[in-house]
Amino acid sequence: MESLTNLVYGFQIALDPMNIFYVFIGVFAGTVIGMLPGLGPISALALMIPMAFTMDPASGLILMAGVYYGAIFGGSTSSILLNAPGVAGTVATSFDGYPMAKKGLAGKALALAAYASFIGGTISVLGLMLIAPLLSQVAISFGPAEYFALMVLGLTAVVSLSDKSLIKGMIAAIFGMMVSIMGIDLQTGTERYTFNHIELLDGIDFIVVALGLFALAEVFYMLLRGGSKTQKRNIVGSLKLSRQEVKEIAMPITRSSILGFFTGVLPGAGATIGSFLGYSMEKRLARDGDTFGQGNIKGVAAPEAANNAACGGSFVPLLTLGVPGSGTTAILLGALLVMGVTPGPMMLEQRPDVFWGVIASMYIGNIFLLVLNLPLIPYFARLLDVPRPLLLSMILIFCMVGVYGMSFSVFNLFLLLGFGLIGLAMRLYGFPAAPMILALILGALMEESMRRALQISGGDWWVFIQKPISMWLLIIAFLSLFMPLFKFVYRRIRGF
Amino acid sequence: MKKNSRLLLKKRYLAPLLCAVAALLIPGFALAQSQWQPTRPVEYIAPANPGGGWDTLVRTTANVIRAENLSNQNFSPINVPGGGGAVAWAQIARDNRNPHKLFATSPPIILVPLMGNSRFNHQDFTPIARLITDYSIVLVRADSPYQTINELFAAIKANPGLSVGGGSATGSMDHIAIAGGAAAAGLPASGVNYIAFSGGGEAMIALIGNHVEATVTGAGEASAQLAGGRMRALAVSSPERLSGPLADVPTYKEQGIDYTFDIWRGVMAPKDMPKEAVAYYEDLFARMIETPTWKQARDQLGWLDAYQDGETFGKFLDEQLDQFSTVLGDMGLLRN
Repeated sequence: MESLTNLVYGFQIALDPMNIFYVFIGVFAGTVIGMLPGLGPISALALMIPMAFTMDPASGLILMAGVYYGAIFGGSTSSILLNAPGVAGTVATSFDGYPMAKKGLAGKALALAAYASFIGGTISVLGLMLIAPLLSQVAISFGPAEYFALMVLGLTAVVSLSDKSLIKGMIAAIFGMMVSIMGIDLQTGTERYTFNHIELLDGIDFIVVALGLFALAEVFYMLLRGGSKTQKRNIVGSLKLSRQEVKEIAMPITRSSILGFFTGVLPGAGATIGSFLGYSMEKRLARDGDTFGQGNIKGVAAPEAANNAACGGSFVPLLTLGVPGSGTTAILLGALLVMGVTPGPMMLEQRPDVFWGVIASMYIGNIFLLVLNLPLIPYFARLLDVPRPLLLSMILIFCMVGVYGMSFSVFNLFLLLGFGLIGLAMRLYGFPAAPMILALILGALMEESMRRALQISGGDWWVFIQKPISMWLLIIAFLSLFMPLFKFVYRRIRGF
Repeated sequence: MKKNSRLLLKKRYLAPLLCAVAALLIPGFALAQSQWQPTRPVEYIAPANPGGGWDTLVRTTANVIRAENLSNQNFSPINVPGGGGAVAWAQIARDNRNPHKLFATSPPIILVPLMGNSRFNHQDFTPIARLITDYSIVLVRADSPYQTINELFAAIKANPGLSVGGGSATGSMDHIAIAGGAAAAGLPASGVNYIAFSGGGEAMIALIGNHVEATVTGAGEASAQLAGGRMRALAVSSPERLSGPLADVPTYKEQGIDYTFDIWRGVMAPKDMPKEAVAYYEDLFARMIETPTWKQARDQLGWLDAYQDGETFGKFLDEQLDQFSTVLGDMGLLRN
């Protein structure tokens, strides 16, 4: 009952007319920022810090949190329509969202993403409200060994993500891993794969690779293949989901929301990793898992539920531990400090207004997002109606502006182009892009955690088995890796 | 007559004309003689992504300068991330005469070049002002057997594998801070098993979660966590005890180790910036630190006043270079 009292208190703050206004502005700005490929919430939030300086901390965080989850909500739109992920957290959404749009189901894919995001967001708010203080314990229990095991589990999805040829999938994954460790090594200060180029000292920004590999490669591919001129057809499609479809996605959304939420709670992980874990979990659990990547509705629902839930979950380490799990939450932390609030173990006692106010505002924000986005879907989807030469140039321009706007670096534009060409070559020769992206996301953290764990244990590899959480994660990883084999053997035996 | 009147006319025009010309020129002269002023917005660079220490310093000071109306031009914060600062430094070094460019700085401008990851160090720029400082703090779990910093160092001596987490890369601030402390206590600087985490927060969580035995990080970052009661501070690297929530934390010096370590932050400019411009910015920051808006922001962010003017700051930086090269050399990490 205590959480109910707290929530009522939170709503008293969140329902203040001024705060409702801030939520609205936040989620609206977030949606727009999220839709523009490349341009993530980080730069927008950084611009808001001077504004926050004069604001009441609760209102300031309500506004800025709105931008954050609004961007993750809106990011799916460009992933689905253009194959150009709006933010890093929605890369996995394009795996099935874009094929759906190509099939003429853009409207359904967008609606699905909106519902899944809404449910994911709402489940994470419930989680925050009921068990946030307990969850900080979960975050603490994850040390280097546990992170390593979790990343191994995530990477086993390479197997299920490489459709036709496992070898080509592995090659793509290893290439992704190599890209992920570029830059100065945290543990030794050594430069790796930087070719004496200072621009590569920090490695390559994930979103640059993702935009090149998906959006640009798609543009190049279309240019190369010329066009089967798409005949005029209903591009938007219906927004409605059939009862059968609702039934089909109910469990994946719930599971991915919970998984995403817990991933978000871990300070080392976050929305991007959460969405990939959700996607690969559902792909493996689904009976029609082999149609993932070709426009399966579960392939859109799972990552969208997971990334929004993870976004909510990331407020646990931020508010209860004072530790940011991502670049975006790092800015939120900075803004809170500027406003005179120090997040951390004392936050719940010292500033309950900020804590519960923000959580309550997320309920309202999620409703705003749904109401704001659903009616606009037909208009967004009409983007695909634009004549192809124009659409392709638009995608190019959006990607380049987005990447340039991130850090004003011309070098990054060349990288974008380079990865576009790599992506094209991969498509032409049948190398899947998804394993590469997965390895790129998980690789660096896996490598870092492994070395950290070994450095702590003095080089003793048993550390990964001795810690119970790590051991169980590795067992699950092992099982999921050999599941196809077990299934195969099982079917053979039954076949006799 | 006609001729005369025309002359007269000319003369009559001449005087006001001269006056007008003079009126235009005099303020110009006066301006040039008294003080240089920026003529367009100042590019104020944080050599990192939004959210970090440099970024916060740049945005906060830009905000104070605007709020207190200290300059006729805007200071616009720009993030140039990459290579722990190296990308921005290379860019600024190339633009070495620009009077409308400043950047935030801290120990990495000395450490990164020493590690061999940047061609430019503090000597390639003009120091404008040191503004604030933080100190390094050593933490253990509340139930840890180590009660003093000397007990911890003794334990490290007995067991060199004892893990000490920190929030910065190997060879960077937190690592140097603890290695320097260990060296001052008579241990080899390379004798600390330093585990690099990506941020002080993560390093503290690893400590609370029992994944490492001790953690070294910035005192400002640690003070909120200490209030949670799950950690204990063994030593802080300030010359005297800090005030406020960290008043109970003993210094290294109190415990018989002659050691201090500053995590300072300040502002620098391109190397060949015109002298008048340097003087203008030095004066501006000297006035800024006296304003109430700055004092309020500084206290809210837990920053400690550590103002030095450009010249003193430059000398301080040279001393830091000596100190850091010795420690890095002892650690076997010196690459430049």
